[in-house]
Amino acid sequence: MTWTMHLPVLIIVVLLCSAFISPLLFRWCRKASAPALLAALLGALAAAVALLVRLYRSGSFSYYLGGWAPPFGIELRADFLRVYMLLVLLGTGLWIFLFALRNLKYELKKEVLGWYYALYALLMASMAGMALTGDLFNLFVFMEICAIASCALISIKETRDCLEASFKYLILSAMGTGCYLLAVALIYMVTGHLNFAMVQQALPEAVALYPNNVLVAMALMVVAFGTKAALFPLHVWLPDAHASAPSPSSAILSGLVIKIYAFAMLLLFYTVIPASLLESIPVTEIVLWLATVGIILASIFAMVQEDVKKMLAYSSIAQIGYIFLGIGLSNRTALVGALYHLLNHSIMKAMLFMAAGVIIHAAGVRSLKKFHGLGRHLPLTLIAFTVGGASMIGLPGTGGLIGKWLLALGALETGRPFFVLVILASSLLNAFYYLPISVNAFVHPLQDGQQAFKPVPRLMLFSLAVGIAAVIFFGIASRPVVEFLEQAVQFLGP
Amino acid sequence: MEILRNLAHNYYYLVAVILFVIGMHTMLTNSNMIKKVIAMNIMDTSVFLLFVAAGYVAGGQAPIIREGLEISYINPLPGAMMLTGIVVGVSVTAYALSLIVKIYQYYGTVDTDEIAVIRGSEQ
Repeated sequence: MTWTMHLPVLIIVVLLCSAFISPLLFRWCRKASAPALLAALLGALAAAVALLVRLYRSGSFSYYLGGWAPPFGIELRADFLRVYMLLVLLGTGLWIFLFALRNLKYELKKEVLGWYYALYALLMASMAGMALTGDLFNLFVFMEICAIASCALISIKETRDCLEASFKYLILSAMGTGCYLLAVALIYMVTGHLNFAMVQQALPEAVALYPNNVLVAMALMVVAFGTKAALFPLHVWLPDAHASAPSPSSAILSGLVIKIYAFAMLLLFYTVIPASLLESIPVTEIVLWLATVGIILASIFAMVQEDVKKMLAYSSIAQIGYIFLGIGLSNRTALVGALYHLLNHSIMKAMLFMAAGVIIHAAGVRSLKKFHGLGRHLPLTLIAFTVGGASMIGLPGTGGLIGKWLLALGALETGRPFFVLVILASSLLNAFYYLPISVNAFVHPLQDGQQAFKPVPRLMLFSLAVGIAAVIFFGIASRPVVEFLEQAVQFLGP
Repeated sequence: MEILRNLAHNYYYLVAVILFVIGMHTMLTNSNMIKKVIAMNIMDTSVFLLFVAAGYVAGGQAPIIREGLEISYINPLPGAMMLTGIVVGVSVTAYALSLIVKIYQYYGTVDTDEIAVIRGSEQ
């Protein structure tokens, strides 16, 4: 079983190569280009599962790119936490791509589909890289690839809104990466290392000698990952970007891209920054309060939106707040809750954006006021929307409940019941804006002037059904995943 | 006084940080998109300068090892990394400029304030 040690790099390489091949295939052999990417995604997912099997057999390991060991080479780490993220990424990515196969034909010009596949593969490769890398500078490179790919997934639709939104996103995310690179420079100056483990070893000594460097670096990191993951005051780019993008892009941007930055921040905080330093400065406290304000305010903003995709985008800002809440509480239960919510939210938000995509395609409406009576004509779509909404609220039987429950338990364990109230209040707010949509769609009759419904391709409905099943599955059978996550966060500080 | 002396001694770090702040401020507040992109490059370049300055060893030679010669070399790692950083910066710039071309085709201006006015008058 020695070949399995190459799996971490193989996942990234397969996806990167398919990013280069798909536009060529699209030009020469159009029919083969989508199945080729599908095969690459499936292969990557299979590799991630094989990686998991290897982890169970022989524990976590490091892979040195090109055989160069740190401090000179780049290290890829494979442990339970990273492989969990990888499985979430590749599983959700594959599922969203199934939906995209049909939906993109209605959203984009035919000629650009090949480029879309390339960008999709590039985005998946960069996210897999961010999940696996054990090197600060390598993380920066993957972050930039991810930023360009996700901006391009928005601007590929070439309408005015998309172009403006993606320019705004690009500028703010360039600010984020600039801050991150400065933070890396400051850490490199005082420790002389870029490898996660080596930086962690060298930091306590460096903090004693140059405290200011490390403090500024920490602040810059919060700004960098806060911008990228839309932590509250830095979220301004998200609503336009996620609302104007083609629906599959919205699904992957809201479902996965903002999560991977939160995950990268989690890794940096708990595997690079020594626990003693994290306790001595109030950086987790700041993240905690920003997340709290974000959860409440973004829910209120979401209530007043008329456009369904804008509403979902604001809801994403509120939900990413939960993950930052888990990071800020720095308690093992809360962290498990945050990671479980990461899985659930990526499924339910992707499903909600897919349902919105189906509604926009079939009924031609975007405004929430015009959703009346859609339930009778698009039953499965609106059931998916309802299940997604129920999971956002955290109704029993859906995955959303378990994540919130664990977060609340974590808040109680650290002796801060206030955050339980925050979670409850935000669930209530979620109920205020998700439930009326479903009720209106199923109870009220169809509005006048509604155009005839276009047929919905079976593959799109199939992906929605998969989403419903996944949300309910992770709501009922949460035990194995939670136990897995408890094992995964063992090595973390708290 | 000590902090001033330290600053004077490490003035290249100070210059890099000043450039960073100028770049970031212009990028976020200027309404001209081209200037935003230029500011983005200033910001990136300031970090490159900081990195390369951190890798400099006083009196060091270019890091080419010659047999039998015991001299100090400057640290090659920051240089190598910044080459990667420059490539990344170039691709982001190219992409941003291509977006600006498209936006200009729609609005006939590259000023975000004017675009806001145009959009406001349409609604």
